Amino acid sequence: MALPALEIDKVDVGFGPEGSRTEVLKDVRLKVEANEFVAIIGFSGSGKSTLMNLLAGLQPADCGEVRMNGQVVTEPGPERGILFQNYSLLPWLSVFGNVELAVRQVFPEMTKADRRAHVQRYIDMVSLSGSEWKRPGELSGGMRQRLSLARTLSMRPEVLLLDEPLSALDALTRANLQDEIIRIWEEDKRTVVMITNDVDEAVLMADRIVALTPGPEATLGESFPVTLDRPRDRTTLNFNPQFKELRNKVTRYMVDINQEAKMLRKAVDVSLPELTPYDFTAV
Amino acid sequence: MAESKLEKFKYGLLKLIDVSGFKVFDPVVRLVFGEEPRKQAGEVLKFLVTPVVFVLLCLGLWTVIAPRHKTKSGEVPTPVEVWDAGMIANTLNERENEKETDFALSGSQREAEITLVQQLLAEKKKQSEQLKAEAEKVAAAATEETAAAIAPVQKQYDELKAANKGAKTTRSGEIKKLAEAVAAGSATAEKLLQAIRDDNLASDEARDAEKELKDHMDEIRSNPPKAVKKTQLAYDAAANEVQHLSKRLDYLQKGNRSQKVSQAEQKTLAAMSKLESATTSSAILSAAKSVVQGEEKAARTAEQSYPRTATIWFQVRRSLFTVFVGFVMAAVIAIPVGIMCGLNKVVMACLTPIISIFKPVSPVVWLLIFQIVVGAFFPDPESHPLFVFFGSLPWIGELGVNPALVFSACTVAMCAVWPALVNTALGVSSIDKDHMNVARVLKLGLWSRLFKIIIPSSLPLVFAGLRISLGVGWMVLIAAEALSSSDGLGKYVWDEYQNGSSHSFANIIFACFVVGIIGFFLDRIMIVLQRSVSFDDGAAVV
Repeated sequence: MALPALEIDKVDVGFGPEGSRTEVLKDVRLKVEANEFVAIIGFSGSGKSTLMNLLAGLQPADCGEVRMNGQVVTEPGPERGILFQNYSLLPWLSVFGNVELAVRQVFPEMTKADRRAHVQRYIDMVSLSGSEWKRPGELSGGMRQRLSLARTLSMRPEVLLLDEPLSALDALTRANLQDEIIRIWEEDKRTVVMITNDVDEAVLMADRIVALTPGPEATLGESFPVTLDRPRDRTTLNFNPQFKELRNKVTRYMVDINQEAKMLRKAVDVSLPELTPYDFTAV
Repeated sequence: MAESKLEKFKYGLLKLIDVSGFKVFDPVVRLVFGEEPRKQAGEVLKFLVTPVVFVLLCLGLWTVIAPRHKTKSGEVPTPVEVWDAGMIANTLNERENEKETDFALSGSQREAEITLVQQLLAEKKKQSEQLKAEAEKVAAAATEETAAAIAPVQKQYDELKAANKGAKTTRSGEIKKLAEAVAAGSATAEKLLQAIRDDNLASDEARDAEKELKDHMDEIRSNPPKAVKKTQLAYDAAANEVQHLSKRLDYLQKGNRSQKVSQAEQKTLAAMSKLESATTSSAILSAAKSVVQGEEKAARTAEQSYPRTATIWFQVRRSLFTVFVGFVMAAVIAIPVGIMCGLNKVVMACLTPIISIFKPVSPVVWLLIFQIVVGAFFPDPESHPLFVFFGSLPWIGELGVNPALVFSACTVAMCAVWPALVNTALGVSSIDKDHMNVARVLKLGLWSRLFKIIIPSSLPLVFAGLRISLGVGWMVLIAAEALSSSDGLGKYVWDEYQNGSSHSFANIIFACFVVGIIGFFLDRIMIVLQRSVSFDDGAAVV
């Protein structure tokens, strides 16, 4: 059996000093096949971004390992391109400059002309042609995330990590960019791990959806394969029974685990003192 | 097409105004281009006309209040007097320029200038004579007038004094008699005491009445009619002009460089002929010596430049150069050290005590320390290579770079280094974590991380710090110059304070405005620089 492209093996992450330690992630296991599009879905505060930082190598695991093609990940690198939620663009550089910085660093052997062509190709790919010399400050939110995508893709990463890339955008821009990401992925397949809090988005885009249980001590729960045919058309998908069923299944599961977590939490609630309101009305 | 071009020009202009921080003029431009005239006119009225009116009111208040306060250097000058003093200072500068050119003129140009100046001088002399006569006439009339005004008061005073004296003698006689009566036992001691007390009281009253009249006379004397002052000032100005023109004539004729050179050359020639005709060895020797001396003198004179006296604009240039040197020194130290502090907490911890202790030290203390330290580096400043080098540069050479400039600049640097350092450290340490994550994903090395992420991202704060530094530096410099008598605006103010002529006080206030206006423009330049490196808004580049 081939090695999984990306593997999380019994990873724990926590913070705080010993004794009063809070575990954010506990015993997380995940295997992502090559060229698979996996969506990890979870509630806010459940440690989604921690998981992403772990995959990117920005944060070390306290226990367990993250492996890429069998090799342990210890530090970040351009082979795992990460798309940050808040774009992380360099505001003093132009659109072209932002992409060029990455290209120059990852492909230092490129000639100047090749590099220009390479940068331009990725700017065109995310439909930002014509805005090459604008600064990020002059771009809309959607355009900024496109630029961030162009920068990440221009490094030609083996694995693409999307950390809630669309959650800061309005609904229309979001749909637009979802299509764009899928189009680019279909043109040039690679392994993708996307974190999201939107079930529709996950069903529309991913090959497989994995649920992250609410934290603390979050871990990966059930996994739902998405067998819908590609290309998926968002306009007709709403009437597709398979889509509806899957969406309902995932949603129900998420709601259930959330209630379960709430119930678990209630068990440790401190009991309130018994107080009776005193009647102050005139006797 | 023309329409859009005009629009483009308008928006370019608006952007320029915005970047340079003169946002007040924004509605004026819009009004000129006819955009929403009602609204823009309202804006102009509120934010431009009202402040101008307020400033005018302040000037009016100044004009009213100033003459009421009398100091040992005369009345506090009014705005008009300050302006006049500034114009006089400017004229002095122009006169220096004229004399400088005159000194260097030669040949037919010199001849032409001599005729011109002579003509002018004759005219001015005549005018000056007239003005003098007029001033004397007015003064004489004023003296007469004053005498006439004083005469009745004087008479009253004399009468009062005589009366008082008579009364005093009478009282003294009575007291003496009373004392005799007490001795004889026909009166009580109590009565005598009362009489002495009454006498003292009466004397005091008499003295007060006399003093009142005397004060009145003094007042009349010290307030000659306004016309006297005016004619006297007119005559003074003309006399000054005459003096200046004769000085010019001197620099064109006897004191002229080419004249001096040719004089020296003639002497050399005479010595040469003497040398040829001399027969005894001692005569030959002395003639030869004077030939060489003459040659040397001619060469030295040809090199000579006009010995300018320091005018206000010279002092402004020198102060600007000094503050620039100090500011550059501060920036060169503060930026790298600040970056190191921001990057490394240990470095920050090491430097924190030093920064905290030295930051509040007064510039005066630094000035004294640097004066001692810098002095030791330049035992012979005249021939020190650094000063020889600076002296040979154009523009800078004429500013007279000397140890005083070096220690003033060091003092500026010492006081200006802290804001820049602290701000740079803050800028570097508060760099966005996301940007650092980008650097980590891209695996940028130390230098690319520094130059591509850290420095660009902290530049706005660095420039904010540099702006504060320049402001502090300019303030410190003026104080340092005043204290150390190192040439510059500070020394100008100090010299005026010491000199105590009728214009001194006005000159000091004029210099105060010059310092303020220059400081304002320095700040504006820094704002423009700061805004051109900041990336928060789109208006970064013009």
